[in-house]
Amino acid sequence: MKLVIDESRCKGCNLCVLVCPYGIFREGTELNSRGIVSPVLDRPERCTNCRLQALYGRMLCGICHMICPDQAISWVEEKPFEPHRVEVEF
Amino acid sequence: MIAPDWLREDRLPHIYCTGCGNGTVINCTLAAVEEMGWKRDETVFVSGIGCSSRAPGYILTDSLHTTHGRALAFATGVKMARPEFNVVVFTGDGDLAAIGGNHFIHACRRNVDMTVVCMNNHIYGMTGGQGSPTTPPGAISTTTPYGMSEPAFDLAELAVAAGANYVARWTSYHVKELTKAITAGMRTPGFAFIEARTQCPTNYGRHNKLRTVPAMIEHIRSHAMLIEKRDRLVREGRPVPEDIFTIGELVRRNRPAMGVRR
Repeated sequence: MKLVIDESRCKGCNLCVLVCPYGIFREGTELNSRGIVSPVLDRPERCTNCRLQALYGRMLCGICHMICPDQAISWVEEKPFEPHRVEVEF
Repeated sequence: MIAPDWLREDRLPHIYCTGCGNGTVINCTLAAVEEMGWKRDETVFVSGIGCSSRAPGYILTDSLHTTHGRALAFATGVKMARPEFNVVVFTGDGDLAAIGGNHFIHACRRNVDMTVVCMNNHIYGMTGGQGSPTTPPGAISTTTPYGMSEPAFDLAELAVAAGANYVARWTSYHVKELTKAITAGMRTPGFAFIEARTQCPTNYGRHNKLRTVPAMIEHIRSHAMLIEKRDRLVREGRPVPEDIFTIGELVRRNRPAMGVRR
């Protein structure tokens, strides 16, 4: 699972920064296209729900998902070991 | 876990200000509905007028957006006409305590089988920050520029006194507990009243030196005290701070209810 912030819904209230026990959310610094400073993710693979939801088969923690007033935080499925295309510039 | 198929995705993002606690309460209510396993065409959301009462507009069920303060009267009508429906009322403090106060105590007295989620943000947020009956003493609003001089309404205690079957109070910071309380209220036959203290950084925090959303949440969290802890302090004869409010489950009882499904 992968943690994502829906930039089209986030209003930049930084409540997720306050509640995340791992400190995954950091206050952003740059305005996005809607003029909102949305939080940035700091190593989101540390999130317990990302790592262990498939193992336990239920929602773990999930405080950021519940407290987000704009329903912007969610988890998306990702295929295991997706091959990434790496471009090397010479 | 909130179900995304209960939200009207095309209406999002909603109109609430940045950091408004009402969105959190919508999340908790939808998580509770999901846990109850209610069907979408047997659930009705009723609301009055105000910021909080915009909430059913973002939920994909049948809903009623009614006149100011009369959400409980309309919800009683829905429950009497169709007792098999699950009725949830979203309401705010100005809607429920000020203009709809009489409907509220009589719905508690009749013990109509419904769940009322009150988003108490201490102020009339939508109309520009006027003082409401739940504005705490000393708080500054546009109609109380020298500080609120009247004592505030304690809605949860009022519901206990009027006879509701389930009464709880949490804040929008305590999301897991709030979800559990709403689920317990939905399970209880009879009137279930859940007061959620929410933050209003735009119209309450701006006038009371709580301008940012984390400051407002921190203020609510630090002024909340578990009811068990308050009782323990009283029992031990230790001083209870003046400006706190109690959170937790206030009452769960089994008075005869009206409109329960046969």
